[in-house]
Amino acid sequence: MDLSVQLGRLRLPNPILVASGTFGYAREMAGLVDLGRLGGIVPKTITQEPRTGNPPWRTVETAAGMLNSIGLDNDGIEAFVAHHLPYLASLGVPIIVSIAGRTQEEFVRMTGRLAGLTGIAALELNISCPNVSGGVDFGTDAGSCERLVAGCRSATATPIIAKLTPNVTSIAAIAKGAEAGGADAISLINTCLGMAIDWRKRRPLLGNVLGGLSGPAIKPIALRAVYQVAQAVKTPLVGIGGISTIDDVMEFFVAGASAVQLGTVNFYNPKASMEVLEALPGALAEAGVKCTADVVGTLLSNR
Amino acid sequence: MPRSSTERNPLHAGYYADSANQARVPIVENVRLARDTYRMRFECPEIAKRIVPGQFLMVRLAGLNDPLLGRPLALYDTVCDSVGKPIGIDIVYLTVGKMTRRLAQCVAGDELDVWGPLGNGFPAIATDHLIMVAGGIGQTPFLALGQEYLGRRVYGATSRSVQSAHKVTLCYGIRSAGFLAGVADFKKAGIDVRLSSDDGSIGHPGFVTEVLRQVLAETSSENRAVVCCGPEPMMHAVAALCKRENTRCYVSLETPMACGIGICFSCVTRVRQPDGSWDYKRTCVEGPIFDAHKIEW
Repeated sequence: MDLSVQLGRLRLPNPILVASGTFGYAREMAGLVDLGRLGGIVPKTITQEPRTGNPPWRTVETAAGMLNSIGLDNDGIEAFVAHHLPYLASLGVPIIVSIAGRTQEEFVRMTGRLAGLTGIAALELNISCPNVSGGVDFGTDAGSCERLVAGCRSATATPIIAKLTPNVTSIAAIAKGAEAGGADAISLINTCLGMAIDWRKRRPLLGNVLGGLSGPAIKPIALRAVYQVAQAVKTPLVGIGGISTIDDVMEFFVAGASAVQLGTVNFYNPKASMEVLEALPGALAEAGVKCTADVVGTLLSNR
Repeated sequence: MPRSSTERNPLHAGYYADSANQARVPIVENVRLARDTYRMRFECPEIAKRIVPGQFLMVRLAGLNDPLLGRPLALYDTVCDSVGKPIGIDIVYLTVGKMTRRLAQCVAGDELDVWGPLGNGFPAIATDHLIMVAGGIGQTPFLALGQEYLGRRVYGATSRSVQSAHKVTLCYGIRSAGFLAGVADFKKAGIDVRLSSDDGSIGHPGFVTEVLRQVLAETSSENRAVVCCGPEPMMHAVAALCKRENTRCYVSLETPMACGIGICFSCVTRVRQPDGSWDYKRTCVEGPIFDAHKIEW
């Protein structure tokens, strides 16, 4: 069974990736996951300057999901290049570096800084984090999205993935912008904006008041987004949102995703990526296909 | 003490889950100890043989998506077979929310998903009088620690060298007598137990810090050390008292966690840096045991 997948100029050994912000910088997981078997690792989003992140509470459990508002707590791009990248590059796994800028110029500058560095297979533009001001605007306006992706593409030969937010009226319209800008792939979705309240104390539970909902609770939203975007663009898609089992993975493939990222499940089942990888050849065989690509976008019409 | 990460990387935490094991394990028993308080025993030899006092495990109800996340629970004690090989783990929990209320309904044979051991555990403190201060359910890490310091039990895969203390005292504050849990276990281990209660129904009426002040006044030890676990205001008060009394103090933080293994960046606490500023540190992989005098309360 050939598990490899092609996302624009990016080739991955298999379609099972782990999502940004749900896998630390991978070193944390070395004792629990055979990192070398993953199709790709997206480390926690980095920003130009170090960020302290939001005050606690940063996460709250909800029905079949969780809200987070970490606030892009990270040590900045230079610390990442000096201290995290050498470890990540040593793993022999495609490393897709997630970056977030406050402005178009900052995104492009960060892209240029990472261009050509050993061990970076692709960049994922986080234009969808709901927990910081700036950045998210690029994910809510198709024109800004197109200009941003095009600007980053011109600053590097490294493949570019645009990660979209579901918190828009038409995610397909934003995806078209990313495609027009030259994205190699589009990953979707980031978290759904939400809130939790302690009514007895009359207070929001999250330190930052609002946060992003993730986990099994948002899987139907993510599946819908992949389905709609697959109708609108030809760019390969990476499905994200509540994926925790091999059946979830296959549903995203059928809906139109060429690869998937496992996110929140890493928190409550650290071995999930390995379980899904082991089950993948059997599921593809059951679907009667010889490679992942043959099952992508094979959803039939009910009419 | 668990092995610290060998990489000297300034951005890497001290205690990743490098020797952790994730398994689906059967519950052996689930016994009520006190009001809203239970001791659960489960079989998990891989974790039992490695875990040391102050470390924790993440515990989740197998196969359920609601509650979704695991909960961090401290080692209460390991359970050994007839030849002394650790095969099981005891945890003690208070029913406070969705997960712990479900946990209380579990019976022998039900399954849990667990991963651990996690966190740093208590350091090997050279002391001849170890004073443990617990607020409510914060008593759970102290049975194993007290047993270890009195030379009654050994924990961990590598021989952790703990210099025996001559005396171990537990200052244990509770809301009311009905919540008192595990006192027989502590006394059986040879630990000197001093109680306080908010409502005066047992022990000293008032705060456990007042009991600690009394114990500090009594002890003749030059190199006494305090370890503390409980609600944050209580830990803060204990840390402040220890600072005034020029006494070493370590706290076990109970910051809410989503993953327990350092990947979610939820469980941050403000830790003082060498330059005097503070930075958010992940309690799960930098703690949960911290030098109390380095916490920015």
